[in-house]
Amino acid sequence: MKNFFRKIAFGLGPDEKIPSDPLTWATSQITDKIPEFSYKGKIYSEKELRKHYRDWVYNDRKILRKKFKKDKMGYKAAKNKLRADTGQKFWRNLELAIRQKEATKGEYPVLAKLWYFWGNHFTISDKDSLANYTTGAYQRESIRANLNKTFEELAYEATVAWAMIHHLDNGENVGPKSEDARAEWRRRKKRPATINENHARELLELHTVSPNAGYTQENIKELALIMTGWAPDDSKHKTLLETADVKFQRKYHEPGKKIFWGKEFPKSKKGLPAAIKFLVNHPSCREFIAYKLCRYLITDYPTKEMTDPIVKAWEKSGGYLPEVHKAAIEVTFKFNDMHNKFQNPENWWLQMSRMTDAKWPPGEEKFDNFILGYGLDPYQAKPHRFMKDMGHHPYKSKQPNGYSDIAEDWMSPELVIRRLLYARQGYINLKPDNKNNEFYEKVVINNFDNPDKIMSILNENQKPIDKHILLFNLPEVIRA
Amino acid sequence: MKISRRTFLKGSLTTLFLAGTGLPVYSSNKAKKNLVVIMLRGGMDALCAVPVIGDKNFEKRRKELILDDTIKLNSDFSLHPVLENFHTLWKEKQGAIVHATNIPYTERSHFDGQNLMESGGKIPYKVKTGWLGRGMKVAGLKKEGLALALPMPLILRGVPQNNNYYPTKGKLPNDKVLALLNKAYKDRSEAELLDMLETIKSRPKETSYAADDTYSLANEAGTLLKKPDGPRVAVFEVGGFDTHAAQGGVHGTHSDCLKEMDLIFYTLKRRLKEEFDNTLIVTLTEFGRTIKQNSGLGTEHGYGSAIFMGGGILKKNQVYTDWPGLKGKELFQGRDLNSTIDSRSVYASAMSTVFDVDFKTIKDKVFWGDNLQNLSDKLFKV
Repeated sequence: MKNFFRKIAFGLGPDEKIPSDPLTWATSQITDKIPEFSYKGKIYSEKELRKHYRDWVYNDRKILRKKFKKDKMGYKAAKNKLRADTGQKFWRNLELAIRQKEATKGEYPVLAKLWYFWGNHFTISDKDSLANYTTGAYQRESIRANLNKTFEELAYEATVAWAMIHHLDNGENVGPKSEDARAEWRRRKKRPATINENHARELLELHTVSPNAGYTQENIKELALIMTGWAPDDSKHKTLLETADVKFQRKYHEPGKKIFWGKEFPKSKKGLPAAIKFLVNHPSCREFIAYKLCRYLITDYPTKEMTDPIVKAWEKSGGYLPEVHKAAIEVTFKFNDMHNKFQNPENWWLQMSRMTDAKWPPGEEKFDNFILGYGLDPYQAKPHRFMKDMGHHPYKSKQPNGYSDIAEDWMSPELVIRRLLYARQGYINLKPDNKNNEFYEKVVINNFDNPDKIMSILNENQKPIDKHILLFNLPEVIRA
Repeated sequence: MKISRRTFLKGSLTTLFLAGTGLPVYSSNKAKKNLVVIMLRGGMDALCAVPVIGDKNFEKRRKELILDDTIKLNSDFSLHPVLENFHTLWKEKQGAIVHATNIPYTERSHFDGQNLMESGGKIPYKVKTGWLGRGMKVAGLKKEGLALALPMPLILRGVPQNNNYYPTKGKLPNDKVLALLNKAYKDRSEAELLDMLETIKSRPKETSYAADDTYSLANEAGTLLKKPDGPRVAVFEVGGFDTHAAQGGVHGTHSDCLKEMDLIFYTLKRRLKEEFDNTLIVTLTEFGRTIKQNSGLGTEHGYGSAIFMGGGILKKNQVYTDWPGLKGKELFQGRDLNSTIDSRSVYASAMSTVFDVDFKTIKDKVFWGDNLQNLSDKLFKV
């Protein structure tokens, strides 16, 4: 039963009381109000961080490349200074600290685990330095902040988020009969306006109904036409480039009647919300999300018996996420003893940190001391370095489908080596008073139903560091 | 110059249309032969990498993406100008291209497409092993696979004890801890973890910093492939080909990706030296891209693409194709370069040649007896 605390969250700390009713413990963390972050240092808004991104893009593209056109070394030095001045290496570390503290020290670890699921579902992959500036803030403001709403609201907020519009090129999605299509410069340069299918395709495939719904290439084009016009506002400040707030701009929107998947949709600004409403109410959408939730929490190969209660909760509540989440928790609890779920590297690392009350992530004081324009100290740089090295940086997925939930995709000699090496790092992160043999008894008793068996394996080693590496590489930990 | 399909069939290109029909291939050369696969993720634009010369249908649809200074390969095709190293191979008759080819997948999803290009199957996510892994298993090549990536790509799965290389620094636990883990994995029937642990045993106990850029990975791969007892199969991944916007021409995102691929060809050639003669490199992608550029100066998901091939196992420098043409009616669904060759025929032939297993066995045991053509004697020295 105790593996449930890891399956649904990150395990129990050595001094945490074992909840007498694990299911209530878990569901009570799903509330109608999204709690404050546990991280108490300075948190920056996505808009503020986007300004730094804008400074990076604008200065590099419009100033440095011209100024140092014939001076490669000068350009390199100026670009490095610009990196420091815009905090390029800092924000990603700060954001990871905010994110990961929810898991290691927060009072709502179940919500944190679900947040990570949704951040990965609505992935912003590693493109155009987004990971260095805004992806963490997007995951806070567009994902976590909407987990107390319906899936429809979450999907809409994620779709029109600046990061997503930029990431999936919807700013380039222009109606072929739009006002902009008739612009003089297009005639002059012989550049007709066209749709860009990228975002529409992923909204269908990855974010809502999945290919199981059986949509066609024609449907993708129809949805892309509905999505035309949703782009960074280019009407005011030209120096903002592509970093202005996303706004529906009629001049890029395809005029006229919109038919999508055999159904007529409203013209203009109302088209996209209506299309999202249609998609999230498609049976394939709830089945797809329910399947993914079970695959994330319970097993690589969920059954209908697992997904059905989640689908029902969705139907009953109109896709209200707290109810969907509670159903997912209940199913996870029900099937807890029948399946062990392989834990991905980030969740494993955070479980190790919570179970041992380790000093992770680095404290707020480390980040609050940072001054723009200066380099990072080793503590400030750790979160990014560690997650990248583990192959599971939540802001740097290689593709828009995010990271896999399947065990096989995390099995390779190098990935197993990472677990061995980072278990050592986990030991280094322990509070000094906990680096002793007695400490491991507390950790094991709190988190395993068979503490004697686990301890008998650990006690084959004398040194606490060896016990630590062994414990966090046992199958009982790698799979919750 | 107006080029028709007929001209292609009659002209300087070699068609694979009537290629061989599956005669067993046995090699008398017992030297260690290597097969390297470079996966080009995101949909490689074959019309950007290997543009057709003088086709008005192409030029009018690609106004801003037409390349200057392309490298002429023959009267019909040229090469993207950043592929300088590949061109060197071409000149040395160690580079060839199969054009207008793809896996039999037409739905344009990256993720379903990538799953199929690696599994070799027809239904996404149904097959849990890769065609290369299954081919190695048929050939009895256990412990001979190397992925130059942190995860183990699907393409290599299906044969035990593959290795991968993606450097980090740190100190592995002592032997006693590893032995206890070994026992714990055995007790819990964790076959895969056991498999990994077995492979890790041969690793150095402590590693210091090493670069993980493409050049360094290719360099390491070359070093290992060169060893007589080293791996015989290596897999690389190059991502970023999904250029819906700002694809670029001579410079830009697509060209950066091609450069990375080119660097792998270069580094392997340089590192393998004479062993390059016994090596075959092939590329793989999930689909090509639309012939028409969009208004963001990118291209959308398409169908037909191309395979780059390098190494001394190649028969000659050639653009092999059964060219489908680029007129509206010749395009797949009116928008994409068509595919006239199932690229799995190339990969099956490559495995047959490099692994010294007859083609029919590969076809039956790796690709479920699908109707693939044996191209071994057309493409490779057999």
